[in-house]
Amino acid sequence: MIELKHVTRRFGPTVAVDNINLTIETGEVCVLVGSSGCGKSTTLRMINRLLPHSEGEILVDGEDITTMNAEQLRLNMGYVIQGTGLFPHWTVARNIAMVPQLLKWPRDRIDARVHELMTLLDLDPATHANKYPQQLSGGQAQRVGVARALAADPNILLMDEPFGALDAITRENLQLEMLRIQKQVRKTTVFVTHDIDEALKLATRIAVMDQGRIIQHDTPENILRRPASEFVENLVGKQDRGLKLMSLRPVRQLMQAHPAPKRPEPGAEGLKEEDNLRLALSVMLWQGAEQVPVFNARGEETGVITRERLIQEGA
Amino acid sequence: MRLWLPPVLLAVLLCGLSAGMPALEPLFHWVQPDKQQVIYERESFLFLLQNHLLLVLISAAVGTLVAVAGGIFATRPSGRDFLPLVSQVASIGQTFPPVAVLALAVPVLGFGEAPILVALMLYGLLPILRNTLAGLEGISPAVKEAARGMGMSPLQVLVRAELPLAGRVILAGIRTSVTINIATAAIGSTIGARTLGDPVIAGLVNGNTAYVLQGAILIGLLALATDSLFEALERTWDRRFSPQVAV
Amino acid sequence: MSVSRSESSQLMPNRVIPALGLLALALVWLLDVGTIQPNRIVPGTGHGLVSAVGWGGAALVTSTLAGSILLAFLNLRGRYLIQLALLGLSLALLPLLLDVFASRHLPEDSPFARSSIGAGFWCLLFFLFLMLIETLGRLGSRRGLELLLVVVIGGSWLIFLQSEGLESLSLVREFNARPAKFEQAFWTHLALAFGAVAISAVLAFGLALKMMRSPGWQRPILGLVSFLQTIPSLAVFGLLIAPLSALVAAFPVLETLGIRGIGWTPALLALVAYSLLPMVRNTFVALTEVPENLADAGRGMGMNERQLFFKLKLPLALPVIIEGVRITTIQAIGLTAVAALIGAGGFGSFIFQGLGQAAMDLVLLGALPTIALALLADAVFTMLAASLKPTPATA
Repeated sequence: MIELKHVTRRFGPTVAVDNINLTIETGEVCVLVGSSGCGKSTTLRMINRLLPHSEGEILVDGEDITTMNAEQLRLNMGYVIQGTGLFPHWTVARNIAMVPQLLKWPRDRIDARVHELMTLLDLDPATHANKYPQQLSGGQAQRVGVARALAADPNILLMDEPFGALDAITRENLQLEMLRIQKQVRKTTVFVTHDIDEALKLATRIAVMDQGRIIQHDTPENILRRPASEFVENLVGKQDRGLKLMSLRPVRQLMQAHPAPKRPEPGAEGLKEEDNLRLALSVMLWQGAEQVPVFNARGEETGVITRERLIQEGA
Repeated sequence: MRLWLPPVLLAVLLCGLSAGMPALEPLFHWVQPDKQQVIYERESFLFLLQNHLLLVLISAAVGTLVAVAGGIFATRPSGRDFLPLVSQVASIGQTFPPVAVLALAVPVLGFGEAPILVALMLYGLLPILRNTLAGLEGISPAVKEAARGMGMSPLQVLVRAELPLAGRVILAGIRTSVTINIATAAIGSTIGARTLGDPVIAGLVNGNTAYVLQGAILIGLLALATDSLFEALERTWDRRFSPQVAV
Repeated sequence: MSVSRSESSQLMPNRVIPALGLLALALVWLLDVGTIQPNRIVPGTGHGLVSAVGWGGAALVTSTLAGSILLAFLNLRGRYLIQLALLGLSLALLPLLLDVFASRHLPEDSPFARSSIGAGFWCLLFFLFLMLIETLGRLGSRRGLELLLVVVIGGSWLIFLQSEGLESLSLVREFNARPAKFEQAFWTHLALAFGAVAISAVLAFGLALKMMRSPGWQRPILGLVSFLQTIPSLAVFGLLIAPLSALVAAFPVLETLGIRGIGWTPALLALVAYSLLPMVRNTFVALTEVPENLADAGRGMGMNERQLFFKLKLPLALPVIIEGVRITTIQAIGLTAVAALIGAGGFGSFIFQGLGQAAMDLVLLGALPTIALALLADAVFTMLAASLKPTPATA
């Protein structure tokens, strides 16, 4: 758990972060979102003490971070940044092994861990382990960056616009990857972005920041449904809030379940339980269908979703 | 291995020629028929070579230590204030001609080996300092940010990331510095340092072209041997520490 | 997000100026400010700060430095401008110290007695300049301000050097003993250095064009010119003597043209050889590294190759070429001094004569103008390159 209490950061006369309070529960993904210069990166960098805070308290699992050794603190927090910051003179494997090496893990444990992480992040150890960062694509390099941050199995993960420099398709892939990994490893994550869609997709809770203050701190759904101010309303996009809300909910929540899973008819097309409602609507519009079957992970038909219900209750 | 062949061959040639110069007497008689004495004998060439090398080595070692330490200091948070001045001095200092620096050392320190050593150190330090600053400042901020963010101490960041990444540029600075210093040490003969410049100066004073040639050939060989040594060092560095460039 | 910290640092205490000021203060008190010699060769007696300029002068020097140090700690807007004025004025009036020193200590009755500058004075000068550079840097580069400083300080020094007070200064004595020779050395030095730069510029342009047209030549040409650069100057000068002498012996007609084994011929040849590397490299880089997309944009808008060259490539390449000329010129000015060893003349002849006679002020008479020329060339070409840059240079 990370708690920020009345935290302020000044650079000379300018106030970058202004008396903020923020609590990030264990295992949740808190996304700080706002335009550039709003203080979101400054907030992140204060949590691992890359920047000292001018006033207030920051507690990690109840302990004031200023009482800890800064390096020890950071060794227990994964850190991923936009430019990856991979060491250009180290191989991929050695880059991932950085923190375990600093923690003086035994050699074979490091090797096993590097192998495990590369597999987790969908990087083939055989082909990529001995490459240098310059030989990787942007997406691969950032996968290595994430692997490096996870290497020593820290409790906390800090991510500063990690996908900001990637193209749209690669970014989308890495976001999905992150959701998948987060399900497995459950890290307390603080994620900084200026992209509200990324925030809505990844966050369990979003903190909207403007001019050094937190304007609203809530779940994605509440941010969309009950924006605290006009600023938040504009940020999430007034007009297409409905579709954004639909994309937060999985089909499973609105489908009419069959009493028992059925074997699908051969060649039947449909949705997966995890697909979101927005996709369901899109499929219906395209197919001109009133209802669409829903399949589970094993390919069995578990229910149907109807257009009527979608329109009534989707957003 | 082929990398190291040129420096070794040139060094062998240099030593062989220094030791066996008298054997070439007939050749120099042909160059300079009107002189009795055609082989420079005031000091042995090997002694001059050794003295020349010693001057260059000491000044390069001290210059590297001081310049790298200074460059590191000026790029740390505690020394950042000094960075603009240090880099200005490093670049303005290099516009001073080496001969003039040598000449200025004499009024302060007198004749002999001391002034030339000081002049070589001071002057030789500048290109190394400049390259150290360029190398350290040229490292991507993201790398340093990530290194600190992952929990490396400032010393670990310096030793594991900054110095290896800047090392190639620093090495190039040392190469420039040594090249200049070999030339300046040769001119140091005029202020009483005994280097391979001695035969050249003596030959110019006495109108003995044979002396001039002997000195000039050995100085040239020394410079080429050193340069090819650095070439080999740089290639080896590239291969070992930044193979990604080669691929 | 990164927030600009520059505005806050404006008002933070500056640690560099106090450090330099304290060093200057220590050295000017510890070392001799000047020396009085009964004649040219006999070593003189040194005088410390108080002895040289009296308690009044010592107090003035000390309070100026202390003022500068205190100013650095003051939390005041515009303090760097005040600092600049203080340092500029100190530097401009520095020769006054020598004037006072000479008038206090020079015996009236001995015409051979002379005063010379001591290490303390040199250190004071050096550190004041460093403080000035630091202050200028903090103010951000301003061409007009720099020019004004050069004019004020340089002008003041020239006036002082021509005044009677510094007539006893041995450096001035050495100059007064040979004004014609000095002038000749000046022109020889300029002619050799700039002649070499001009010739190498033409050659380098040709070589760069050759390298652009036939890439196969790139490695051999660059290899050759960097090989030439590696050989120490003294060796090149020496190695040229024998073949040139032989050439002249074989074709006596050359001698009537003034070509000889020693003198300006080998000097110029060697200087040109040395100048080739920076010239060729910069010219080649300048002409080849015009971004292809810019050239394409030009073509796309209907420029022909000729217009492309004059409107796009040359303006973009010029600053880089001039940077090459700058490096080459500075290098040539220094090497011309070495060429005095083979009888080429120039300021180097004073240096080596002075070293031969152990007359240190004659050495200075050669070394100081050489340095001044190099610095001047550096300043002129830097300004030229900056003024030709298509985008205004920002600090």
